[in-house]
Amino acid sequence: MGLKSIWSKVHQTLASVRTGIFLIIIVGVFSAVGTVILQRPTSEPEDLQRAYSPQTLALLDQLGLTDIFHAWWFLLLLCLFCVCLILVSVDRWPNAWKVYSKPVRFAQPSFRPSLPQTVKIPVKDEASALSVVERVLNRFGLKPERVTEDGATGLYAEKQRFSVFAVYLVHLSLLCIFAGYIIDGFVGYRGNIMVPEGQALGQITLRDNKGGETRKTLPFLIRCDGAGEETYADGSPKKWWSKLALIENGKETAAKTIIVNDPFVYKGIRIYQSSMGQSSTPRTLNFIATPSKGGEPETVEVPLNGKATLADGESLSILRWVPDYYVQDGEVYKKSDEAENPAVQLGLTNAQGETKKLWILYAKANTTQGQDAPYEFAIKSATWAKYTGLEVSHQPGQFGVWIGVVLMAFGLVIAFYTQHVRIWAAVSEDGKLLWVGGTTNKNRERFKAKFEQIKAALQEELGSSAVSKTNHKIEENTLTKA
Amino acid sequence: MQDVQVEQQQKQATGAALLVLVGLGIAFALLVALLAAAKAHTGPIYGEANMLYAALVLYAGAATLYMGYGVAGIERYVNAASILTFAGFLANTAAVAHRWSIAGRPPFSNMYEMLLSFVWTLALLTLIAERAYKVKIIGSITMPITVVSVILMQLLPSDVRPLVPALQSTWLQVHVTLAMLSYAACAVSFALALMFLIQDNMKSESFQALTSSGMVAIYAGMLITRFRSGSLAVTAYDLEQKSEVMISRGHPLFIRIPDLGWLYLLVFLSALVPLVLYIAGQLKKDGSLFDVASKAMFVTLMLQTAGTAIFIARVKNGQYGAPEAEGLFTTALPANPFLLAGMIGGIVAGLLYLLLLWRREGLQRMLPSADILDNVTYKIICIAFPLLTLMIAAGAYWANQAWGSYWSWDPKETWAAITWLVYAGYLHMRITRGWKGRRAAWFAILGFGVVIFTFFGVTYLLPGLHAYAAG
Repeated sequence: MGLKSIWSKVHQTLASVRTGIFLIIIVGVFSAVGTVILQRPTSEPEDLQRAYSPQTLALLDQLGLTDIFHAWWFLLLLCLFCVCLILVSVDRWPNAWKVYSKPVRFAQPSFRPSLPQTVKIPVKDEASALSVVERVLNRFGLKPERVTEDGATGLYAEKQRFSVFAVYLVHLSLLCIFAGYIIDGFVGYRGNIMVPEGQALGQITLRDNKGGETRKTLPFLIRCDGAGEETYADGSPKKWWSKLALIENGKETAAKTIIVNDPFVYKGIRIYQSSMGQSSTPRTLNFIATPSKGGEPETVEVPLNGKATLADGESLSILRWVPDYYVQDGEVYKKSDEAENPAVQLGLTNAQGETKKLWILYAKANTTQGQDAPYEFAIKSATWAKYTGLEVSHQPGQFGVWIGVVLMAFGLVIAFYTQHVRIWAAVSEDGKLLWVGGTTNKNRERFKAKFEQIKAALQEELGSSAVSKTNHKIEENTLTKA
Repeated sequence: MQDVQVEQQQKQATGAALLVLVGLGIAFALLVALLAAAKAHTGPIYGEANMLYAALVLYAGAATLYMGYGVAGIERYVNAASILTFAGFLANTAAVAHRWSIAGRPPFSNMYEMLLSFVWTLALLTLIAERAYKVKIIGSITMPITVVSVILMQLLPSDVRPLVPALQSTWLQVHVTLAMLSYAACAVSFALALMFLIQDNMKSESFQALTSSGMVAIYAGMLITRFRSGSLAVTAYDLEQKSEVMISRGHPLFIRIPDLGWLYLLVFLSALVPLVLYIAGQLKKDGSLFDVASKAMFVTLMLQTAGTAIFIARVKNGQYGAPEAEGLFTTALPANPFLLAGMIGGIVAGLLYLLLLWRREGLQRMLPSADILDNVTYKIICIAFPLLTLMIAAGAYWANQAWGSYWSWDPKETWAAITWLVYAGYLHMRITRGWKGRRAAWFAILGFGVVIFTFFGVTYLLPGLHAYAAG
């Protein structure tokens, strides 16, 4: 078997409506399966572990059934469906184009039997008969034109010829949507980032398909200039907001206050409000400073990234903040982000510019006593910084999706609410018999009723009983084969 | 000889059917009275609760008359029924308007409000189908659905709750409006497809198999999710907070009603019997099994009614324990809308089947011809499908504004897409392949089955982001 015949076989298989329907059913079945089996991207790892035994989970993972919608074979199925849609449309396009660009304006005797609706009415002469038909068709909202072919004259009337393109519009819209989705599958990403108030960060965490995490650096830093929430009287949340600024190459390039349902869009990257919380980093710390030589203790408030001046002119700053510490080999290390067991390193700078470093290890002793300084410090209280939880996504393919949706809306309206109606009329060579025939591409029942009305009107105007026939057999099949 | 027997059966059956209907009417009046006593009606006379109550009474009257028309075939009934439906629709509109003005937003944010809008749409479509398409009998299927929905609403928490941030979006309202419209249109197309099958002379046996399959699916769904070694698990409900008791976010606390699980297993098996007999009858080509199956159908209907009554009696303010937590917890009907909807749905389906069994000839005289029904089903789906498409698109656009992705394959989204595919398949086959008649009707029925699963099944059986709707 040559390459050519293999190709023609593949082409033949893919260009059939049957294959397309088979593929879309398979996609539907796997989608349904994907809603029954817990999916990694939309469920917590603990939920998966609770729901399935380790062996089952390993098996499901191996088969790709825990992330069906991002599995390569699922995307392949969608791609194959797209190919099928394209080939089916391309194969049938010339026919539709012919109907549109070169409509059959004169019904040759050989063409006439293929029409589902026809009528024959005896008449006196050609000219008067055709003008009667013209008048009747005009009354029914159809505008007939006179057509001459091979010396014979006939009438042709049609309505909503563009209706033949509806199916291509719908197919095209589906392609746009799938193409958009597939593009996003390859170049799009979605992750989250927690930005504490007053800080600027630029690295988001992406959740990968295996439940692990990878990081991605954004082309800018997101600075949170403020965040807050409002609640209803009953305590349920009403509004979450964050004041954000974007910093590109050290300069602020854009700023916006976002709320849920109103994201920040910048250069195709969308930033969403997703959660809100209290950071484990304080905004300010309050200390009680007691002079070592004795005297009145004073309270001093120190911002995390600033300094405060004490009564005698020495300045106090926070050098390090460790929310949950442990000590190893005389060094302080961070154990976790929970602000349960903090350690603070203070810097006390005197008028000569000499800085003394002091530790408060809160759990051990809330004091700097014994560290040889003019003051003893103890933590009194803290105000905490808010952080804002942001979702960051880049999905350039979504424009394909929205274009597809709009095209589909048009396509469906044309498909369901318009129909291509065609009516021909001609008089036999001897001028004694008028023939009128018509067809439509959908909603045949209504057209049949309308044709009957036209027929009755013609018979009345021409004042004669007619020989008519309705071709039932052909009715359903004429357009199916096209 | 046989004909005479059939005729006799017919006459006897008609008497029995009327008896059943009268019994139902009394049972219903009692239930309404109970509900009225249970729910104190305060506020102005034009207020939402009173208007909804008026709508319930009017719809119930209309439903009874429509079903009476189905049984007795008296034309006067249907005229009165449509007047009652219209009056109920006005009261329903007033209820919607009142709630809208109080909440300051359209009523779509929880199960109660969605049912309110759904019922409104369904009544409207029933009136349209009756006026525009002359399908008079449609009310005997759609009006019982509205009655069941309004009863369910009486049990759901109805206080106006403020919207959490994610739900504060115009797109959400567009999305839910379109969903209600398209689902109601799907419900109407389902009713029409069933009527087509009646007019197309589908065998009563097949209808029986269809009905018992539905019942089996309902009770299988309940048992799979709620059967716990003989007990039936229901969600614990805090009567003071008027909300479910949660263990953690998204995980409500299930308490166990002892022995009710066994009863439901029994009901499930009884629903399975007619289906098994039907399959056996088909395989053996033995017609006599069908008569046995009919009796089994009656038995399962009785059991289902008894099961529902026992469920209501035991759930209403009962106190039960849970293995996950110490102490006893209360439960209440509002915490179990889906269980109730399933049970009542099963009973209504069974009653409709009995109506068909006893009054088939009369029904066939009253219904429009098969051709008309087939065509109207197609037209209604032609309306439902674009609405469905726009509903999904509006939902995707909202998700893109709220969650950062237009499509995240959560179960509700996925099932909406599957629903779309099924109806797309119907239209594709009809337009390009000329599928009409019985094949198309089955397709429409399948489509509505998927709609029901998307609307109820996904929320109830499958976890997902759409958890807001459960409240």
